[in-house]
Amino acid sequence: MSMHDVADDTAPRHDDRTGRERILAALRSRITLATALALTLVVFWLLGYRQGASGSDLLSLTIWGVMLGGIIALGAIGLTLVYGVLKFPNFAHGELVTFGTYGTFTIAALLPTGAALRPFSFGWELMVGMILTMPLVTLVALAVDRVLFRPLRARGAELVLLAMASLAASFFLRSVIYLIWGSDFMFFYPGRANPILTLPLNIRIQGDQIFVLVLAAILVALTWILLSRTRMGKAMRATANNPDLAQVRGINTERVIAATWALGASLAVAGGVMYGLASQLRPEMGWFLLLPMFAAVIMGGIGSPVGAIVGAIIIGIAQQVSSSFINPAYGPGVSFILMVVVLVLQPMGLFGQKGD
Amino acid sequence: MQQIDLARSAFLFLPLFLLGLLILPGRAALRIIAALVLAALIGWGLPQMLDRGTLTYLVSFSTMAGIYAILSLGLNSQWGLAGHVNFGVAGFFAVGAFTSALFTTTMPEGALAAYSQQAFGLQWPFLGGVIMAGILAAIVGFFISIPVLRLRTDFLAIATLGIAEVIRFIFQNERWLANGPQPMRGIPRPLDCLFKDPACSWLPPGAAEFLEPLSPRDYVFFYLIVVSLILAVVFIALERISRSPWGRMLRAVRDEENSASMNGKNVFWRRIESFVVGCFIMGVGGAVYAHYVVSIDYSHFNPLFATFIIWVMLMLGGSGNNKGAILGAFAVWGVWSGAAFMIDIASPALQLISDDLPTRGAYLRWMLVALLLGVIVLYRPQGILSERKKVSDFMTDDDEPQ
Amino acid sequence: MALLEVRNVTAGYGDTEILRDVSMEVGEGEMVTIIGPNGAGKSTVMKTIFGLLHPRTGSVHFNDEDISALQPYQIVERGMCYVPQVSNIFTELTVSENLEMGAFLAKKADIEARKERIYEYFPRLKERRHQRAGKMSGGERQMVAMGSALMLDPKLVLMDEPSAGLSPKMVGVIFEQIEKINKAGPAILIVEQNAQLSLQMSDRGYVLASGENRFEGTGQGLLDDPEVGRLYLGG
Repeated sequence: MSMHDVADDTAPRHDDRTGRERILAALRSRITLATALALTLVVFWLLGYRQGASGSDLLSLTIWGVMLGGIIALGAIGLTLVYGVLKFPNFAHGELVTFGTYGTFTIAALLPTGAALRPFSFGWELMVGMILTMPLVTLVALAVDRVLFRPLRARGAELVLLAMASLAASFFLRSVIYLIWGSDFMFFYPGRANPILTLPLNIRIQGDQIFVLVLAAILVALTWILLSRTRMGKAMRATANNPDLAQVRGINTERVIAATWALGASLAVAGGVMYGLASQLRPEMGWFLLLPMFAAVIMGGIGSPVGAIVGAIIIGIAQQVSSSFINPAYGPGVSFILMVVVLVLQPMGLFGQKGD
Repeated sequence: MQQIDLARSAFLFLPLFLLGLLILPGRAALRIIAALVLAALIGWGLPQMLDRGTLTYLVSFSTMAGIYAILSLGLNSQWGLAGHVNFGVAGFFAVGAFTSALFTTTMPEGALAAYSQQAFGLQWPFLGGVIMAGILAAIVGFFISIPVLRLRTDFLAIATLGIAEVIRFIFQNERWLANGPQPMRGIPRPLDCLFKDPACSWLPPGAAEFLEPLSPRDYVFFYLIVVSLILAVVFIALERISRSPWGRMLRAVRDEENSASMNGKNVFWRRIESFVVGCFIMGVGGAVYAHYVVSIDYSHFNPLFATFIIWVMLMLGGSGNNKGAILGAFAVWGVWSGAAFMIDIASPALQLISDDLPTRGAYLRWMLVALLLGVIVLYRPQGILSERKKVSDFMTDDDEPQ
Repeated sequence: MALLEVRNVTAGYGDTEILRDVSMEVGEGEMVTIIGPNGAGKSTVMKTIFGLLHPRTGSVHFNDEDISALQPYQIVERGMCYVPQVSNIFTELTVSENLEMGAFLAKKADIEARKERIYEYFPRLKERRHQRAGKMSGGERQMVAMGSALMLDPKLVLMDEPSAGLSPKMVGVIFEQIEKINKAGPAILIVEQNAQLSLQMSDRGYVLASGENRFEGTGQGLLDDPEVGRLYLGG
């Protein structure tokens, strides 16, 4: 492996694979994966059409799918960065989403309620609450890291133990959420009208949904700028790419890890608030998002924020469009099936890198 | 001693005897004798020392802990033996529970059919249901393992978690299959006629007379025997397996995946087999659970009760050690049940903190179990009883690697 | 007083001891080569100097300071850099970003100037600065790795087998650059399979075998030593 990595390109490469291996390799290429995913979406649209959904219904569903994808993406970017930098799947990421939503709910309730910013259903206090909650949830994430993950990291613990620790953190944080806010569903603005707008092409969409779409796009763009333009962002990518070398280059990896948690937690807060706006607040909301988030992360390739965004949007569309022909309760199941397809065809995902 | 206590004592004998065999040290013959004597003494003594309510509680506690021990053993045969990170225990548990329920219940008819739907109801006997539960869970496990077991550990963890959620969605949403979101009721209890009046017609008159003072409330005394026997069978089978060449090979694969995968194809199938064996045991555990609680629905098979807590049990008891798996199940179930009492007692104090807190006390138990796992992972990842490396009878204790 | 002093270091992983009582030193601006058979512990010496592995006994001194217990990033701060043998670049980052990561500890304002200096050493990197480093050839990767290590103007550069896996032509190019770098200031401690070439350029050299010092001397002296030649230079 390493010999190939450092081999000069003047050295001739022998391709001694058999025909069968070549076919398998082609089946497992990224292009095949991309084609398979695109075909799946086309099949979903056709199935929806056969079930009697009109073209504009399907278009609306697709746009809702992009919106759901935006929400999933906000969670998935943080998940993929933590996965890339710390090298374990963080099963507690969903709880950061939930914490962010409930935290925003509580802080917004403390602020004076402003009039709804039409065409949206919420007032300025929700946005202020969201921004104030971001550092709080960052603190939660850092505290968990300090108590649980950092000692394991220092010891060089196996991935399995870290994953298990994150599962423990997930249940711990969820129990805290239940203890503070109880198990009842809540709404940011119970009973407030959320009028449906009809756009050209007969697309029906709520004001809040447009907001979610736009805010998700803005945050995703900001994250992209952060990762590609700032030094800390580049250091995050570098650490995700090759943690040992990052250390050798003089990067203080613990600081990079803290920054990664901060970014992941803040985006999780935004994702949670938007999810709360689109449906309701419940203690299990983050857990329900976890499967689609993981599916997006794996589809995009672990450690790749761009991949997570693309994966999230594909999954969002697939979930929404599939609701035109199967029980919408199976949405997370659809994302799971897509994830398994990715794992079978190309576990590296659309934008993933080979392990060094 | 009243006849009711005597009858209850009689039921305690077998589980206590098996427990004695499990924990007593020494040679086989001596152990059997010691276990017989102790079981008789304790079985006779317990009803005298404890009041009837407490004893019934203790027995139902042990029954539930025993069911969890079966699941924990199933997980051990995957994680402890072969290193599969199955975060989807709940899925195979659910498949087992619903399968056995479908095979043993009666298909609802007439007016009832409008309220209660299920795919079929075959009225099979209890054991038939249990075996079918294991087989079906194993089949599901087999089909899942082929794409999934090729993957890295972390993907396996995510994928199995997903499988369990999907299985739960199916039992929640498919009304025709097992009554959708509504519970599936009336799962028969094996031999529950023993505790009815009049008792089973085939019982000899003497036995019927002996059991006469017992009421259906005492059924759990009998079910503890059922659970203990199934647990014993699973335990012995797994002990044999883990010392067989097959088990040794799996451990080698687990510890040195790269070198052992030199003969790749072979290893891949061994790994699938171990996953399927674990799923079979989880399915059996599901069946035993279903016939105990009589009425099941999808919400029983959530990630907390049916996956997470089982991991805590195995991690606490000791991964790779079958005795540890059983010990962990009893210990964690003890913590879980004990916490309920503690929270009841502490509820006035909780009231002082917040009015809502006492009603949310149940979540303190979650917190406790989560903390427990955190502490295990941080301070004693090998659990209370660490893995026994002795895999051959030709090794003496001195050879045991540290 | 030498720039780097390794004093009687014993080190290893877990139960295995790889280095036994190894001592060596590198003076300001010197070029020093370590040669030895496979498994002699050459890379382990590098890792121990750089804080990736801490000595069990003995100590490592840099600029008269004991650095045995420091973390790599603290050692980088003190003016030492390390070019590992494998996975020594960030494959997912561009060439220019790779260089920036080499100067993570430098002031932001200086970075462009520092990069320009590296591009003077390796003009080929300037042409390809926006390319993803993982897509480059072996020789170019080695340039990126060395360039990143030089970003902070280190006083000492550790290089682990810079010629491994390269075509003979590329080996020549890389060694030319190493000589140029050394002339411009930093001391270089290099582990090399290509002992002839490396020793010719070196001021001094050490021969390591089975984790112990065997020989030391000037570069030419070692090349001329018949025993070293017979045992370790294959001639």
